[in-house]
Amino acid sequence: MTTEVRSMAEIAQRLKRRWLELVLVSALLLALGVLFSTTGLTLGDVISKRFLGATLRLSVPIAFAALGGIFAEKSGVINIGLEGHLIIAAFAAIAGVIMTGSVWAGFLAGILASTLFAVLFAIVCIEFQADQVIAGLAIWLVALGLGPFLSTVLYGSVNTPQTGSFQTITIPGLASLPVIGALFDVTPPVYLLYVAVIGCWYVLNHTAFGRWVNASGENPQALDTAGIDVIRVRYVSVILSGVLAGIGGAGYALSIGQFTGSGETMIGGRGFIAVVAYLLGNYNPIGAFLSTALFAGLQTLQIQLQTGVLPASLVQTVPYITVIVVLAAVGHTRTPAAAGEHYESGDE
Amino acid sequence: MTDSDSRWRALLHRIVYASAFERMVISLAALVLSILVGGVLILVSGRLTTCPTAATTYLGVGFCYDPITVFDRLFFGALGDPMNPLFKPFAGEFAAPFRAGWSPFNAEMAVTLRETTVLIFTGLSVAVAFRADVFNIGTQGQLVVGAITSAVSLTALGPVAPSGIAGSLVLIPAGLLAGAIAGGLYGAIPGALKAYADANEVITTIMLNFVAAKVALFLVSGPLQRADSQIAQTEPIPAAASIPSVLFDARTGFSLVALAVAVCTALACYYLLNHTTLGYELRTSGLQAAAARYAGVKTDRTIVGSLVLSGALGGLGGAIYVMMIVGDFQTGVPSYGFDGITVAILAGSNPLGVLLAAPLFGIIQSGSIVIDTTTNVPPQLVDVLRGLIVLFVAMPEFFRQFGRRFFDDDGGEIDG
Repeated sequence: MTTEVRSMAEIAQRLKRRWLELVLVSALLLALGVLFSTTGLTLGDVISKRFLGATLRLSVPIAFAALGGIFAEKSGVINIGLEGHLIIAAFAAIAGVIMTGSVWAGFLAGILASTLFAVLFAIVCIEFQADQVIAGLAIWLVALGLGPFLSTVLYGSVNTPQTGSFQTITIPGLASLPVIGALFDVTPPVYLLYVAVIGCWYVLNHTAFGRWVNASGENPQALDTAGIDVIRVRYVSVILSGVLAGIGGAGYALSIGQFTGSGETMIGGRGFIAVVAYLLGNYNPIGAFLSTALFAGLQTLQIQLQTGVLPASLVQTVPYITVIVVLAAVGHTRTPAAAGEHYESGDE
Repeated sequence: MTDSDSRWRALLHRIVYASAFERMVISLAALVLSILVGGVLILVSGRLTTCPTAATTYLGVGFCYDPITVFDRLFFGALGDPMNPLFKPFAGEFAAPFRAGWSPFNAEMAVTLRETTVLIFTGLSVAVAFRADVFNIGTQGQLVVGAITSAVSLTALGPVAPSGIAGSLVLIPAGLLAGAIAGGLYGAIPGALKAYADANEVITTIMLNFVAAKVALFLVSGPLQRADSQIAQTEPIPAAASIPSVLFDARTGFSLVALAVAVCTALACYYLLNHTTLGYELRTSGLQAAAARYAGVKTDRTIVGSLVLSGALGGLGGAIYVMMIVGDFQTGVPSYGFDGITVAILAGSNPLGVLLAAPLFGIIQSGSIVIDTTTNVPPQLVDVLRGLIVLFVAMPEFFRQFGRRFFDDDGGEIDG
């Protein structure tokens, strides 16, 4: 009887959701239609090398942070502080370039800074059993303060001076293909992104470590019983999320050549968009990359629309509103069973 | 073991394990630890920068920034330097503790209390949602929406309102109400999205912060911009709508009346959470959603309700910001909403705790202005401290383990 009642409630819930999804998707289509018809933007502007190239560049911070977030959350540690990793990596990368004069050294400095933050976050969450969401927010708040603070200490302003940046590497032949040629005319971090997406997908689905990460988030007891150290799997996953987000933050800053720290810094919520990107991609690296392309594409569109008739500040809200709509539409994503919970090994 | 020794141990045991008291100890310990880490950061950054003469020297190494000066300015500067330099209790000199000529109604104190007033509202906003297990990171956006709505409604009401005291009696409540309603409605959006579409409120509220800031920028630099102004600001609110200052200089932008309203709001929130049905529903759905549903609590409605209430408190903070501090709406609203997160976490999400944590953060904010004008340390230091405090409060287990190791030799059998 009770199961029947519950299933009735579930059906009602599911019907309600279908209806909601329909409303949200039609609202989104309507908004896009209005956007195209009022701004005189054509499909040809969107399906172009320039558009694809800009989208790929803007994908770097979101996609790398999303890949990192997948590892952390699949292992059972929700890393909502990805934004903080991006900020600190972006600042450290630029500071590294200014100190050493080498873009690649700056890139490594950014990754290192983000990784150190991840080690701190891992210790706080795993060793000291902190509330993961609050600790993640703290990591973001610390980075939000530390980046502009150190920039002011070193360079007298929350914005750093302009430095050298990554140059695009053009692959002859492939780069001259129509439209998709843009995929082969990009900066090193974008090429790294292709490798990382495939690599993460392979590791998660076809290696023992991938299975451990999965089990650590879904059924840590079983993993423990199988003789694998759950704590160690979680440490490695969280630190990996810091490395990946670090590549994203450093790669993004070094494609611009400056760290801007006013307001919400140059990262401007991309770490939080990354969380939505991997939820939308259902924890699959390739899915996360595709949903990143959606958000990054909207940001590119927004930059192109700023030259149009609509006020810039209103157009800038488009990616943020899309994130909210998408999150509402995919809200039912199943998170790993043990995500957010502390795991205590039985033999201690 | 002597009698007094065991009594000490019992007391320390309570400090380490008692849960209500424990929260306060952990908050204090987190604060102290943040200050220590902040001090190290000041020293390290003092080595990274260059200066003509060292501000301080430790172990033969010169540093450009002196943490002791910084924290002295941060805490005592924010109170208008109350301490008598001749008062040195540790050196055995007991002059009058307060400096001659120090008045509690000084300008720095006014800034401290002004910040405290807004922070009580934003701290309560985050705390009320936390109690229902809802992470409202959107207080900043709700404050902005409340502030702009309050400013616009007051400008519209100005011409039809009576003049003098009667005008204030109409306009001030109207401005507060407008801010609360707008903030509440803006809070209802993530509330409904969480309750009916399972959308994680941490993400939606952060996104809505961006949306609020961008839309506010559009409004005050376009349709609502002051006619003769070069900068993005609305028309000034009518004079009768500014909250009157009592005892303090009106130019400091602080009003004891507004502080009194803030304190009463905190007491009302405490009563609401602990002595009403709505408060019971909020707390139970926060503690155990399934159990609450079983007990007949409509958890969906409770989630929306908690975010509406939370947003209304943020919106009230925005109205106070307009009516007490700026006198119109401008872009570049300080990050009261993010500081509210720290205040609420430091307060253990208890409205009465907010009354203790908000002044502390008011001091830190006001002190950051003193640091900016009297030292060469960047005032963004305070933003780092904000993050560190949240980080350390989030890890009570760290302090428990620390406490066990140092104060307890019975081993870790008893769990807090």
